[in-house]
Amino acid sequence: MKVYLDNNATTALAPEVLDAMLPYLREQYGNPSSFHTFGSSVMPALEAARESVAALLGAADASGVYFTSGGTESDNWSLRGAVSLHESRRSIVTSAVEHPAILETAKEMEREGYPLRVVNVTGDGLLDMDGLGSALDASVAVVSIMAANNETGVLMPLSEVAEAAHSSGALFHTDAVQAVGKVPMRIDADEIDMLSLSAHKFHGPKGVGALYIRAGLKLPPLIHGGHQERGRRAGTYNAAGIIGMGRAAEIALQRMGIEREQVGRLRARLEQGILSSCPGAMIVAPAAPRLPNTANILFRGVESEAILTLLDLRGISASSGSACSTGSKDPSHVLLAMNVDRNCANSAIRFSLSRYTTDAEIDYVLEVLPQVIARLRSISPFA
Amino acid sequence: MWKYSEQLMDHFMNPRNVGVLESPDGHAEVGSPICGDAMTLDIAVDDSDRISEIRFRTFGCAGAIASASALTEMAKGKTLDEALAIKNRQIADFLGGMPEEKYHCSVMGHEALHAAVADFRRKSAQVAEAASRLAASRPDAGLSLKKARPGKAVFVGGSPDRRLLISELSKALSESLGWPVEVELEQE
Repeated sequence: MKVYLDNNATTALAPEVLDAMLPYLREQYGNPSSFHTFGSSVMPALEAARESVAALLGAADASGVYFTSGGTESDNWSLRGAVSLHESRRSIVTSAVEHPAILETAKEMEREGYPLRVVNVTGDGLLDMDGLGSALDASVAVVSIMAANNETGVLMPLSEVAEAAHSSGALFHTDAVQAVGKVPMRIDADEIDMLSLSAHKFHGPKGVGALYIRAGLKLPPLIHGGHQERGRRAGTYNAAGIIGMGRAAEIALQRMGIEREQVGRLRARLEQGILSSCPGAMIVAPAAPRLPNTANILFRGVESEAILTLLDLRGISASSGSACSTGSKDPSHVLLAMNVDRNCANSAIRFSLSRYTTDAEIDYVLEVLPQVIARLRSISPFA
Repeated sequence: MWKYSEQLMDHFMNPRNVGVLESPDGHAEVGSPICGDAMTLDIAVDDSDRISEIRFRTFGCAGAIASASALTEMAKGKTLDEALAIKNRQIADFLGGMPEEKYHCSVMGHEALHAAVADFRRKSAQVAEAASRLAASRPDAGLSLKKARPGKAVFVGGSPDRRLLISELSKALSESLGWPVEVELEQE
């Protein structure tokens, strides 16, 4: 049996999405920016996709949606753009548990002279709001806090962060790559200035995403060139990708209620099943508000890559936050920031479910996993 | 997934010499703070300084587990000096090669073996010292130390009531060292 439980890495392309894309890869290959009808007739489909994405974000104004190549580009654009708006506001405030697309970009910008302040999280993975408060002053250009953590699924209090950022005159950006399509977004109600998303995290195609920019915010372009996206994001439209993202957004919005319930039920089964069959197992951030699809489990005493290798041999795809790769193995920066000790952090496995996950798949994982853990525990010095 | 050889996967799936020895001659606990890996290694050493038994436990990835298993297979039956001469490269070859990025995984086993042999040698020296002192404190018994190892001291000589002497010596040594030491007496 093949079981894919790594949906926070990427998701299966929905068949409906593929169907929506195919005409634009086959006969309707024209450039949407062209003068001639053959190309320009594609444009309405892009605009429809923009509307669908805006609806998924809870944004009344679809013109705030700018198509990009994905989450990483959107994150880079938001930070680079934000620090260039006011000469007196050059600092970036972010959290210790951000995705590398934010953290590494901010660190690179720090080397270039843009001061960086990293706010810690609580043991539950939630932003330390006092820490945020003391990081804020009149030099801060942008506060960038993720909507949902990719490793733990912990949901950050976006409206509170937005309020804190705005009260100090800073912009608020959220990397919502893991949250969009899984939980409702309220970009207008939460007063979010900028939001990054990526299509392949909600059953859309890879290589396409968007940055939402609040109306009136004059964020300069990151990518220069042609006049696409009202001159703010150059590059020929990835028409099929954008149209696929639009269809994926439509489906995600339509089914959000049902899927949250269904995926949440399967996640609860998985977590309860693991706790009762694998001694020493512990759920990360069980009490925090979390995405319904993400379970991060510490299998104390057993090393995560060894677990992943045995699961892989049995057809189960999951992941861990660390990779024992280039001579040093760094445990997950997210778990370390939550004060999980190093050995425990090296025993973490993330299972991330999707709308396509079935009860039979969860049954299979619950059959295989206890054997894997018991086998490795029998050779562990920490057993 | 890493591209692992069949031999490596075999040692990962069916690791040899797993566990602990009840009273090891040498014991080591090592870990890599960077990796967060950890390992224990026990050895039993016979009278000709050969590793007669070896057991390990590892918290680590497939590469770490397989290379620890391979190392125990390679070290078993070798003299201490021969075992210490095993190179990481040889472990990798024994496993039919391993990904370059995974080479560091075999370092821990190597380190554990060195630490276990050092532990054996340190304990042997402690037994030798305590046994020599004991022999000197009993001039009446006419003892001289012939061989010392962590769990055993071999004396030459000895007074008429050998059985009583053996148990007395063993008790005195075990008490002064804090672990059980067996005593043997050989005829001059």
